[in-house]
Amino acid sequence: MSQASDPKLSDPILSVKDLVVAYGSVRALHGISLEVYPGELVSVCGVNGSGKSTTLKTIAGILKPQSGQIIFSNKSIAGKKPEQIHKLGVALVPEGREIFPSLTVAENLRIGAFGRYSAKQFTLDLEDIYALFPILKQRINQAGGLLSGGEQQMLAIARALISHPELLMMDEPSLGLSPTMVDTIFELIATLKERKITILLVEQNAERALQIADRAYLLSTGHVKFAGQPADMQSTVDITAVYLGEGKGGEL
Amino acid sequence: MNSAKSTWTRFIDSKYSTPAILITILIVLDSFVWWLNIPFIEDICTVATITLIMVLGFQLFMGNSGILNWSYAGYIGIGAFASAIFSMTPEFKAKQIPVMYEFLVNLHLPFPLALIAGALFAALVAAVIAWPLMRLTDSVGAITQFALLIVINTMLNQWQEVTNGPRTFTVSMGRITDIWLALFVAVLVILAVFWFKESSVGLKLRASRDDRYAARSSGINIIAVRYYGYVTSAFIGGLAGGLFAHYIVSITAMAFYMGEVFVLLTMTIIGGSMSVSGAFFGTLLITVSQQLLRQLESIVTRSGFEASGTTDIVLGLLMIGFLALLPNGVTRGKELSLSAIKRFLRIGNNRQKQSKGLDQKPSN
Repeated sequence: MSQASDPKLSDPILSVKDLVVAYGSVRALHGISLEVYPGELVSVCGVNGSGKSTTLKTIAGILKPQSGQIIFSNKSIAGKKPEQIHKLGVALVPEGREIFPSLTVAENLRIGAFGRYSAKQFTLDLEDIYALFPILKQRINQAGGLLSGGEQQMLAIARALISHPELLMMDEPSLGLSPTMVDTIFELIATLKERKITILLVEQNAERALQIADRAYLLSTGHVKFAGQPADMQSTVDITAVYLGEGKGGEL
Repeated sequence: MNSAKSTWTRFIDSKYSTPAILITILIVLDSFVWWLNIPFIEDICTVATITLIMVLGFQLFMGNSGILNWSYAGYIGIGAFASAIFSMTPEFKAKQIPVMYEFLVNLHLPFPLALIAGALFAALVAAVIAWPLMRLTDSVGAITQFALLIVINTMLNQWQEVTNGPRTFTVSMGRITDIWLALFVAVLVILAVFWFKESSVGLKLRASRDDRYAARSSGINIIAVRYYGYVTSAFIGGLAGGLFAHYIVSITAMAFYMGEVFVLLTMTIIGGSMSVSGAFFGTLLITVSQQLLRQLESIVTRSGFEASGTTDIVLGLLMIGFLALLPNGVTRGKELSLSAIKRFLRIGNNRQKQSKGLDQKPSN
């Protein structure tokens, strides 16, 4: 926690500078910069189309940046292949619970562990995963596609966790889940934060995300509108205006 | 899962019961046919066992990667010709194919080694050309493989110094492959294909079939795992081609073309392309229906009504029907295991009737 409360004591594990990303001729990110320090939970908020997912996908290597820098653990990873970036310790929990539906729960977890750790380590980690997600133990030999939405989300998070990531990125983990399941997922994120796992969390549910974040960024149409303490975000930025369009917000 | 249960219970519950069941069925079937000693049925059964090897190799790549591999018949052909060139004696080759290159005429290996050398050669060809093709997925991938099949087939069909061109290529004066050899290789291939599916490469390949992007961001090099699958598949295809050539004894390049891929594809789809059990039962079902339909066809034709070709039409319709109604085939993409049979027996008569109805469809 000491690192998180006073981040300037260490170097950032992830540092993004002036990142520009475009889908064809349409620019999604107009030069955003953000930093994540070891052990921190950083939340990126913003409406649909503000560039949150684009940011994560670019860091993970699924999208290629037009310009800008991405430094992870003192290495430039901008434009590298996703599999190379994963080997360096960046795990992405993709939006929409992209698990492997025809593989069993156990196989999904094995995929997460490939390349980074030994089989023996995997067995140990599996016990740990079962402790965090008891439901996955019950379903270990079922096909991933047969799980409920919330269980699939847990599996996606577990798959990312089992690779012991230096940085865990989650893209809208609460999207499309029942209110109870949303609670469960946020409790889980809080547990991971207590374990000092560095997390970059993208959420539309800004209220919940800001409650647990150490620091937060607010994106709007590909620009960073705010960066700092979550508590300050409400006071310095007219969030309603950012969320509901520029102009006279709040008069609804 | 790891404590008090006996080895036997653990075996029943594990996925390793699948190859054991498939191998048992195959051995019982082939031995029974051999014991019957009716040449006509033994012939069908030997060809079916060789075809099973072909389908298993086809399923190994298509089932695990999700990419339709048209070029597969090309590798069967390469394996067939290559193993024949290795196994034939120089004198026999010089007599049969006078135009053959001198260095090919002088090559000679004993039959079992020739079979393996032919398969290795097919795998080598795949290894040399496949890497750039593994980047392509979906319809683009299938079209590229189709084009590759045409290239390979044209070479086999025209390169008369190697394959005797479009003329018949006589491998030997009598059959060399018998039902026991086909059975022996099929058992090994069932084990190999199952092992591949469960290996880390197979698992990664299946993950890439489910979701390319999630697979890559889980650290999987998709091109590499596809490449290993493709080359392994070409090896098994080449092996089956060699057995086929030494059974049929006189071959032409046109035997290894689109028609062949279509039959293998029908077997894979109707069985269920996602599982090894699917390849197994697909081969069994289609072979039986093909034979029954052929009999029917000749009876009708003898009665004065021209019916030749009906078999292919029915098989085509069957494939359309399955793709529309049961795209995962009779196995629904699952493996047959002892625990699945146990579960199946426990469920009441209702379910049993339903799925019996499904199993019988192909023979209608």
